[in-house]
Amino acid sequence: MSDPTKIRATVKGSDGEVRILIPHVMESGQRRDPSGQLLPAQYITSVILSLNGRPVIESALGTAVSTNPLFAFQLLGVKAGDKVSVAWTDNKGQKGGAEASFSAA
Amino acid sequence: MNMQRREALKAGGGLGLFGLLAAAGLITPGQARAEWNKSAFDAKSIEDTLKALGATGAENSTDIQITAPDIAENGAVVPVGVVSALAGVEAIAILIEKNPNPLAASFMLPAGTEASVQTRVKMGQTSDVLAVVKVGGKFIMTKKEIKVTLGGCGG
Repeated sequence: MSDPTKIRATVKGSDGEVRILIPHVMESGQRRDPSGQLLPAQYITSVILSLNGRPVIESALGTAVSTNPLFAFQLLGVKAGDKVSVAWTDNKGQKGGAEASFSAA
Repeated sequence: MNMQRREALKAGGGLGLFGLLAAAGLITPGQARAEWNKSAFDAKSIEDTLKALGATGAENSTDIQITAPDIAENGAVVPVGVVSALAGVEAIAILIEKNPNPLAASFMLPAGTEASVQTRVKMGQTSDVLAVVKVGGKFIMTKKEIKVTLGGCGG
């Protein structure tokens, strides 16, 4: 959990591509430790992506999203310098986020 | 059941307002978590999930593309992308039929966001992956089978 959330935003033509990598265990609650005890579920439930402070994607995740989830989104009509930020919350209340500016490809 | 249905409808229908409130800073991400559709994520079958999403009777459509490998060697990390060329897509959900809880992720897209999402999911075994898209208040879906050689759940 110590690794920071990574976000990269690139302008491609009139579109922008945002890639987000969130280091997170994404424990599904279905795995067992070596002694047979169920490992408690811990997973990201909410990821909100904002462009210049306005939410553009609100995602809700379940346990089936992979460990260290990676997301890629396309946004319309962005230009270099526009700010994107991502904020996530998991089911235990842990939070994280990151911010970046669009750069020309 | 009625309450859950109501919440599912609210999650789908109230997003325009929700987006506005969030933009105005009235809702913090912490409160946004309340929007998490528990009944949909807890559902154990495709039918129940669709019901909880309010998407019962979603029609098959060729206007959605699922980008994913035909064979995934490692079920713990399966890249899945959903793209739709349709205008006015409001929500995209990714469902994995044979997972314990089929709903993997759902994305709400306010107007002006392109209908293109990519993420990585876990798959317990070879299964159909469904993409359910809400466009203009209607639900449409498509599916693709992904073969998994090594399961990503359990262990």
